[in-house]
Amino acid sequence: MSTKVFLVDDHRLFLAGVRAELAEEFSIVGTAYDVDAAIDGIRNLKPDVVLIDVHMPDGGGVAVVTGVAETNPDIKFLALSVSDSAEDVIAMIRAGARGYVTKTIGPEELADAIRRIDAGDAVFSPRLAGFVLDAFAGAIPSTEDPEMDQLTVREKDVLRLIARGFAYKQVARKLNISIKTVETHVSSVLRKLQLSNRHELARWASKRRIV
Amino acid sequence: MIYTMDRSFDLYRRRSDRVAAGVAGGVADSLRVHDTFVRAAFVSLSTIWGLGFFLYIILWLISFDDVDDREVELVDGQQGIGLGLAFLGFLLFARVLGWWPDDALVWIVTAISFGVAALTDRALPSPLTSLLDPGVQQPGRIRVLIGVSLLVGGLAFMSSTIGPIAELGVVLLAVALTGLGLLVAFGPWVRRLAQDLGHERRERVRQEERAEMAAHLHDSVLQTLALIQRSDDPIRMSLLARHQEGELRDWLYGNIPLDGVDLMSTALRGIASKVEQDHQIPVDVVTVGDVNLDESLRPLLGAANEAMVNAAKHSGADRVSAYMEVDDSTIEIFVTDQGKGFDPAEVGPDRKGIENSIVARAEKAGARVSIESEPGEGTEVGISLRREGQ
Repeated sequence: MSTKVFLVDDHRLFLAGVRAELAEEFSIVGTAYDVDAAIDGIRNLKPDVVLIDVHMPDGGGVAVVTGVAETNPDIKFLALSVSDSAEDVIAMIRAGARGYVTKTIGPEELADAIRRIDAGDAVFSPRLAGFVLDAFAGAIPSTEDPEMDQLTVREKDVLRLIARGFAYKQVARKLNISIKTVETHVSSVLRKLQLSNRHELARWASKRRIV
Repeated sequence: MIYTMDRSFDLYRRRSDRVAAGVAGGVADSLRVHDTFVRAAFVSLSTIWGLGFFLYIILWLISFDDVDDREVELVDGQQGIGLGLAFLGFLLFARVLGWWPDDALVWIVTAISFGVAALTDRALPSPLTSLLDPGVQQPGRIRVLIGVSLLVGGLAFMSSTIGPIAELGVVLLAVALTGLGLLVAFGPWVRRLAQDLGHERRERVRQEERAEMAAHLHDSVLQTLALIQRSDDPIRMSLLARHQEGELRDWLYGNIPLDGVDLMSTALRGIASKVEQDHQIPVDVVTVGDVNLDESLRPLLGAANEAMVNAAKHSGADRVSAYMEVDDSTIEIFVTDQGKGFDPAEVGPDRKGIENSIVARAEKAGARVSIESEPGEGTEVGISLRREGQ
């Protein structure tokens, strides 16, 4: 049975385009154009993966992700947006999205990202990988959970290669590790990004907007 | 200063905000009413054989100097009216006891001083100001009404009792009544006028902002949209859109380096954007960390530019990635494509030339260059500079 996908975007034209691209491989169980309809639809239809736009009236993608997570924490979100500003990316990931790609992504890459999310992995665009490296760079302030506030050397290596534009497969080959290991590292980085109580994360993101 | 129970009935003279010795202010603070009313009471009582004057002297003698002027919370209207009625009762009591010089004098002075007190309170703006400017706090409408009627009544009484200036009294009464009538009739209109003026000013500011935004959008976004409509090449369309998106984002979020400092990341993005334009291929730029751009770093950018142009021209890939990472010890730039690649061992003379131009430029800045490529596996040019004394 093919993966059930739900699409949320307030730009109907864009939504129609994505729908046409994905219809062949995935079963598109529903679409929504606004936050409330999205939350209702997702709760009723229980898709495997939701492709969610970041910028929408009434709270945007973050409102949908947090709204659905209350009742259906197992539904996975992939954020898809024109915006790649740090604030948006970090906000979506911290709300619980398992990946973030920009709308310039090609149809095959998008399909690949959905498959990855469905399998429980994380999907980082090069830009997101760059943000994470930047956010976790430098000396670590003393916090209760230093594990959560640092990236391991290997995780940094993986992120660097993703930021340089390599696909997971190429990252694995360059580091002489398996794709599965690459995915494990990325998932672990995602968890740190979501759970880190590093205060700089939010501040860093807002500062990035003006620098 | 803490206002304790055992001292609460002591009388303190005010140091600040006083007219004579600060007694009236002190009494006002103790009774928690506006000082203007207390002053009016002293003035009124003075008409009864100078009672107010002597009372003032006595209170001055028994009161203390207030070292720190206290913040006094004023009583509400109801309590004020109570105190006013008590004062009126006291006057009538004095009249019955025979402590009374002359009806006309006492009532006129009392009415006029309280009328003035009701209308002029230094803590609040004048009634006229409050009518004209809706933004300021207003003295109560009832208070203004009472003040005006006391004043007008007092003047009218005066005009009717004091013979020689009776004529003047009528004139004053007429003027006062006319003024009051005009205020009632036109006050709300004048006030609305003032409000409208405020609205108009805000609306104008909004329209100017709109006009500025419209001008900017016209120069940039609408022009680009027109270009996109005229273009029938999807790659060119998407590049135009991409370029416009970046420009609009910069404008909206003020993505401009402060204080005229050029950042390495900004310069790299600028180069990438130019390559996009010139060679019709998207160039994704990701940067981690940053450094102020100085002359010694320009050759690095030159080398990165050559690498991007090279990838755009020869790789056949549909996009190029540029990644820069700056930390305390190194600056690294990678230009990557997923194109057809080549075997570095078997490069033709033209390729060698381009490679040399990258290497030569980078080495001028003291950087090392690595080129990794395999047929069918894309190409990556790495430029790495060790930062000294940083």
